[in-house]
Amino acid sequence: MAQQLAMIIDASKCIDCKGCMIACKVANNVPEDQWRNWIKGESGMSRPGKHNGTTKFQPGACMHCDKPTCVEACPTGATYKDEMTGEVVIDESLCIGCGNCIPACPYGARFRNATKRKADKCNYCPERRAQGLLPACVDTCPTKARVFGDINDPDSEAGRLFLKNKEQLTRVAARTETKPNMFYIGDPGPRDWGGEAVTPASMIAMKEAAPFIKGIVGLSGLGVLAMLGRQLIAGSDTDHKENDDV
Amino acid sequence: MSESSQKISRRDFFKASGLIAAGAVGGGAVLGGLRKARAAAVPVKPWDSKFSACDMCFNKCGLIARVEDGVVTKLDPNSKFLKSRGMLCARGNAGIDQVYDPDRLKYPLLRVGERGEGKWKRISWDEALDLAAQKMEAVRKDYLPCGHLFSAGTDLHSQFVGRFAEVYGSFNVTSHESLCLVSNNRAFLDTFGEVPFADVLNSKYIVMAGANRFEALVTPDSIDLMTAMRENGCKLVTLDPRYTKTAALSDEWYPVKPGTDMAFMLALAHVIIGEKLYDPQWVEEKTYGLEQLAEHVKQYTPGFAADQCGIPAEAIARIARELAEAAPAAMIYPGRRSSDYEDSTQIRRSFAIVNGLLGNWDRPGGLLAARVVGLKGVPYEAPWYDENHEDRIDADKVPMMFEHEGSFLLTRDAVLAEDPYAIRGWFIYKTNPMATVPNRKKTIEMMNKMDFVTVVDIAMSDTAWYADLVLPSQSYLERYDPCSGLQGSSACACVVKRDPVIEPLYESRSLFDVMKGIANRMELGEYFDFTIPEYREKQLRELPGAEKILDRDGVYYNPSKVYGIYDGRIYKTLSKKIELYNQRYEQMGIDPLPVYTVPTKVPANRFRLVVGRNALVTQGSTANNALLHQLLPTNTLWINPNAAKKFNITDGDLVEVSSSVGRQEIKAEVTDRIREDTVYMLSGFNTLSTRQHLAHGNGASIAEILEGGYDTVTGNAALHTTFVTVTRKVA
Repeated sequence: MAQQLAMIIDASKCIDCKGCMIACKVANNVPEDQWRNWIKGESGMSRPGKHNGTTKFQPGACMHCDKPTCVEACPTGATYKDEMTGEVVIDESLCIGCGNCIPACPYGARFRNATKRKADKCNYCPERRAQGLLPACVDTCPTKARVFGDINDPDSEAGRLFLKNKEQLTRVAARTETKPNMFYIGDPGPRDWGGEAVTPASMIAMKEAAPFIKGIVGLSGLGVLAMLGRQLIAGSDTDHKENDDV
Repeated sequence: MSESSQKISRRDFFKASGLIAAGAVGGGAVLGGLRKARAAAVPVKPWDSKFSACDMCFNKCGLIARVEDGVVTKLDPNSKFLKSRGMLCARGNAGIDQVYDPDRLKYPLLRVGERGEGKWKRISWDEALDLAAQKMEAVRKDYLPCGHLFSAGTDLHSQFVGRFAEVYGSFNVTSHESLCLVSNNRAFLDTFGEVPFADVLNSKYIVMAGANRFEALVTPDSIDLMTAMRENGCKLVTLDPRYTKTAALSDEWYPVKPGTDMAFMLALAHVIIGEKLYDPQWVEEKTYGLEQLAEHVKQYTPGFAADQCGIPAEAIARIARELAEAAPAAMIYPGRRSSDYEDSTQIRRSFAIVNGLLGNWDRPGGLLAARVVGLKGVPYEAPWYDENHEDRIDADKVPMMFEHEGSFLLTRDAVLAEDPYAIRGWFIYKTNPMATVPNRKKTIEMMNKMDFVTVVDIAMSDTAWYADLVLPSQSYLERYDPCSGLQGSSACACVVKRDPVIEPLYESRSLFDVMKGIANRMELGEYFDFTIPEYREKQLRELPGAEKILDRDGVYYNPSKVYGIYDGRIYKTLSKKIELYNQRYEQMGIDPLPVYTVPTKVPANRFRLVVGRNALVTQGSTANNALLHQLLPTNTLWINPNAAKKFNITDGDLVEVSSSVGRQEIKAEVTDRIREDTVYMLSGFNTLSTRQHLAHGNGASIAEILEGGYDTVTGNAALHTTFVTVTRKVA
């Protein structure tokens, strides 16, 4: 069976220390004030007395969805679902920085990297994994609230947790169903923040033109090269005007 | 700017040309061709991995530095490091920006303008060390050796400041501890005969007061607390005027009225004794003073405590029963920073007494004695200076000061009064009293008293900003450090060391080299005639093989006894038992049992200003960290919505916070996470030093506003005794 790399998170263990956020930022050289991951807090009122541990801090990042709306929104194929690992990958060399994928993610997991001017998001730290290390956020997490691995492998820590907690696994549901691969054990904490995937009209039109899709994709592939070239020329121009993130 | 974007586009270009070629080969199947290219293996980064120990706070968590071409690119946790449970927090990860902070001190600087004016001249190390030696010699000649003060923060090199001070002839040495934990240490030492460690991991019931373990991270306690709660069903009850993250994650939280914790603890003792919830045999065998305690706590009923603390009497009685039921795998968590009230030692004694009464000691889940680490001291024979005064400048002001830590506040007062003698020289290493000691103006006065102030630090802290000579020290990743023995509760007793993981940046030198340089110029060179690796060999002399293990794992564990350390051993107290009733206190005229005093009422239209921690802040040393700054760009004043309404303050308003000693402007954060009578802000912001570009002029300095009360037993600062007004600034 193919892998499905995923994160199993126990939000009840998160102390909101932000170790994962700084670790990710350093490991991936993420520009100032941009983040590949987050911890969402409960904004509930403080109540004296017994409160039965209702407060949750919710670690998150790109959820490497099974139905990734970002993939549909990408005009160049730079964003794709890797069939071998289940990751949603951005091929930076193909990304033209158009920004279509950013509103297409209902979780706000994507941004345009201010330095590279390309789409960016969590990629589970492939450089670290290539050296046998865990993704930076998982490695550094004090309470090990974040667990990473192949949920299809019952011998992995993630797979073990996935099977053991199958009945009580939850996801943060966005208004657009994307089948995320970020699983929370029990109550994930804040649930209602996921939005709606917004795909540019042109991409929807392209999808509707199904019989011609192959041709269009082929053409768009050629277009990619042209746009890539344009981006390169523009990229080396220091006073290039940057598009705002949506 | 243009240089960096040029670089990026060049890199992009090479990458793209490769892809275009791949695309061309692919011919018709353009995308397929590209897909092949992107499936290429991820390049393995050519990094070296080197062990070290974090230095972003006092914990010394084990880390692995990833070094590429002589540059640290990532700090990772050392998974073999049990004390920190294989983690590295946000600050630990942000250590990289402390090392590569563009504001770091780069070469020796000599003040050329007025103190605090920020005019400096770059000088050579030889000039700097000559000058420091000459000025220290002058102070010793004109004001006796004890006329020079030495202050060193928590650092593995700080022992060399102590060594230097001693051979120079001064016993006037202060640490940061009288702004932090001495009241707690005093209280537990005077109850158990030593300062215990908390076996949080195995505890079933923890009452946390005066501590915020999920934000003020202490390893392994912070991590073990979560494991205990989520895996072992431990209950956590938190008392805090603020709804901290610890409070938020607790099973129960009570916004205790500040300064009344002792009433709560004595009421617990009242219930435990009244209902005979303790183990009589254990108490009989191991403790002294049950009868006196029983008599003493009769008056402190849950009803009395409820009136004082604002916690319902039924809750207090229930917590007492639940705590006793879980004992001895239970605890009143000892906490750490206990610099809050004038009777802090007695407040913490009440914590210690409840633990003693319940036998939460030397057994799983309770408080533990220190374990054997096996590291040895490196003794030396310091010269004797006949001409010196008898005692420390802060002596005899309070009865139970820790001689080797001193009291910063009492020292400052004595220096200003020149009573009983004058101090005119000050050497400061890695501590920042201008940012951490209450009443900053008074600290400036103290600076102005000095003929010569030398500061060794990695940054132009406010303390450096007011010095005469500023020397750039190496960061923790650039130097050899002595070994350090760490107590990790039931997790471990271990040894760590640091070797340089990168070459020292700029002209920075280690504190040891600075001390050695000055000593050599003062005919004290013989006391520094060694290297750090040689020093470590002496420290490790009774742990054969430890050095090798340190090199292999980054940590050495001593598999010493964890529980039952006191089986057949006597306690270091007068009664040779755990002293519920302290005999020594009685002899010295100190209350032998903690007597509850009602805290001063908050005056009308004022607030009690409290201090506290956040996992992104280490006092005065992190506000200029560019990584942490992105998550915590400034500090704010927490104020309750009802109080804010009364003073016409809305969230985000600029307010003036003012006490009898100073005022600051800061943005209000209107939040119900704090009591109505209390306000709070983080420390470390709004530096005077302009060479802290993220912290200067940003937020408010709490040191400017806090007044200078102190604990009357230890001389520890009393940081919760300042009342402030909060006024909205009209735009």
